[in-house]
Amino acid sequence: MANLNTDSIKDRTFDAIVIGSGMSGGWAAKELTGKGLKTLMLERGRDVKHIKDYPTTNMYPWEFEHRGEMPMAVQEANPIVNRCYAFHEDAAHFFVKDKEHPYIQDKPFDWIRGYQVGGKSLLWARQTQRWSDFDFEGPARDGFAVDWPIRYQDIAPWYSYVEKFAGISGNKDGLAELPDGEFLPAFPLNSVEQYFSKHVKSKYGRHVISARCAHLSKPNQIHLDQGRAQCQERTLCQRGCPFGGYFSANASTIPWALKSGNLTLRPHSVVESIIYDDKKGKATGVRVVDANTKETIEYYAKIIFVNAAAMNTNLVLLNSTSHRFPNGLGNDSGVLGKYVAFHNYSAHISAQYDGMLEWTTDGRNPAGGGYIPRFRNLHKQETDFLRGYASGFSAYRWKQQNWDGVGSDFKDNLAKGELSPWHVGSHMMGETIPKEASYVKLDDKLKDEWGVPLLKISMDYDDNDAKMKKDYIEQLTEMFTSAGFTNIKAESDNRAPGLDIHEMGGARMGNDPKTSVLNKWNQMHAVNNVFVTDGACMTSTSCQNPSLTYMAFTARSADYAVSEMKKGNI
Amino acid sequence: MHRRIAIKNLALIIGGAALLPSCVHENGKASIKLTNLSISADQEKLIGDMAETIIPKNSTPGAKDLQLHLFVLKMVDDCTTKKDQQAFMTGMGQFNDYVRKRYSNSFSDCTVKQREQILLDIEKDKDPKSSTYPAELKTFYGAVKGQTVNGYTTSKYFMTKQVVYELVPGRYNAFYPVKQKQTA
Repeated sequence: MANLNTDSIKDRTFDAIVIGSGMSGGWAAKELTGKGLKTLMLERGRDVKHIKDYPTTNMYPWEFEHRGEMPMAVQEANPIVNRCYAFHEDAAHFFVKDKEHPYIQDKPFDWIRGYQVGGKSLLWARQTQRWSDFDFEGPARDGFAVDWPIRYQDIAPWYSYVEKFAGISGNKDGLAELPDGEFLPAFPLNSVEQYFSKHVKSKYGRHVISARCAHLSKPNQIHLDQGRAQCQERTLCQRGCPFGGYFSANASTIPWALKSGNLTLRPHSVVESIIYDDKKGKATGVRVVDANTKETIEYYAKIIFVNAAAMNTNLVLLNSTSHRFPNGLGNDSGVLGKYVAFHNYSAHISAQYDGMLEWTTDGRNPAGGGYIPRFRNLHKQETDFLRGYASGFSAYRWKQQNWDGVGSDFKDNLAKGELSPWHVGSHMMGETIPKEASYVKLDDKLKDEWGVPLLKISMDYDDNDAKMKKDYIEQLTEMFTSAGFTNIKAESDNRAPGLDIHEMGGARMGNDPKTSVLNKWNQMHAVNNVFVTDGACMTSTSCQNPSLTYMAFTARSADYAVSEMKKGNI
Repeated sequence: MHRRIAIKNLALIIGGAALLPSCVHENGKASIKLTNLSISADQEKLIGDMAETIIPKNSTPGAKDLQLHLFVLKMVDDCTTKKDQQAFMTGMGQFNDYVRKRYSNSFSDCTVKQREQILLDIEKDKDPKSSTYPAELKTFYGAVKGQTVNGYTTSKYFMTKQVVYELVPGRYNAFYPVKQKQTA
């Protein structure tokens, strides 16, 4: 047990504690330390230092024992994480293996996790789009969840703030549904992507834009100051980037926070709960179990940022019980752990295009191609389902190898190969509706090896998702057909929720403390020194990739928290 | 000393992957350490000869130079299911029987022309309904062929001398004339 003498308590007392070191935790640490707060960042996994701890980053394909393929024994032992598109030999070390951290699937849920410093910010797909008022006004307009307590104008300056630092490439497309940001030059659409863009704009008034992504297409001084360099178009991002070409907590916010001298980073720290003092009416600190020694240690601070990633943030809050909060910290409303949701990625379409054969591409596109912002139910309700979907769109050619045959000519032809015709692909990214019946809970009996209750997860597709998927397939098929694409194949898969890695909600924001956990500053209604700025705060999901919004929420919330501290309100 | 240099050169050829022959080479056993498969020296030789038939040495290195048969064994051993591994072993026996019946010889004693014919005939037999070969033989051949070509096209030799793999492209040209395209 920890030595409870005064010096020891002093050593364990900070101005702020940040739980989690990933996408949003990194931002919390950067902002709080930048404002002079002595900050402790807790990470349950190991440390991953930028560049130094990217063991595969400079490996050639032939240097991987199985050329990237995961051994069957690993695949069979890890059916959940093995379904993730990035779980291969080059990045498997950044993923939680199934047996290491069990959870309970009340309904099928593929929970993909990265327990290390930097979290999933090392592994993300780096797509970054702003929300607009079409998104923030969604629940109020369409009558689900609760009204968001903010609107676009509240968050817009903070989008700008985080974009400038993170480095976001994109075009100023002038779309109300996808507001422009502080962009570095976009990665351009290729010939067929551009052709499709022009076609659907003239025929449908819909948009195919260069995907906006967190890559340094042309770094500014602020990025060089972080020790990052221009993206080199390797598209090996999941290994960790030695150039810092894409935004990760490891390359950007955490080293920045460390440079301030105000950050203490403590890996191997499993947060068991947040300590609430009934007399003070405040959270006073965090109870940690050392992942290796299993020793319980308490850390204290004036403010606490919870950034453990959506599901684990819910777990920590639900497990933080006290006389005042018998059902979880800040849970007067009873909604904590409820209204969780995700993104529907369960359909994709491929096709072929026989034109534009004089063009190909050279090098690789880190943005991945094009992005089709939501066009359904945008200005008014126009379908038999609520909300809508964004879509990816990309076109590509490759050198075809003929694998039929044996012998000398066969061998020599493998190197020659002819360019394939253009192939195109799209996948859906659908908004799902948060429902009271969708929940995460703590198991009554089962605990992990650190004494923390196992999380039970239950969310599922509903009728709205099925109708939306049908519409995506119909609309994209029609757009593909009218563009002259052939061999169109729409595929629907039966993936479980979770594989989108966009799980959200459970500690939602709202105006009314009776129906929400957090106020418009991501501050707990009932505990004013606890802030939740990761995916758990999301009132609705919209269909944008969510990370940029978490970053903006975090920076905004940290700014508010510190100003409230200075005013003596916290 | 020569053996050490040979191993070092081999490591360079295959890019340092873990395909080094195990140091203690028992007679009759495969030269590579395997976890699931039990492969004899004769069976290793068969797979080596099949791989060399698929990717022969001509003016450029062949399967044996690149140790592709060891890669085949490694991949089947590590990256396939128990069921496929059993089919692989059964199919190898069926393959030997088939060759002996057809040419009264082992595969290794067949001429290059005969070897190529054997493999091409199996490969051309695509419809499983009307197949004249046992399913396990096809599984066995499919694994040897697939992993030999996989091993070849992802070998350091192929990816540096035949096509140039760029670890750091440093560019994305979205509009690039096909005429100017030289590398994959």
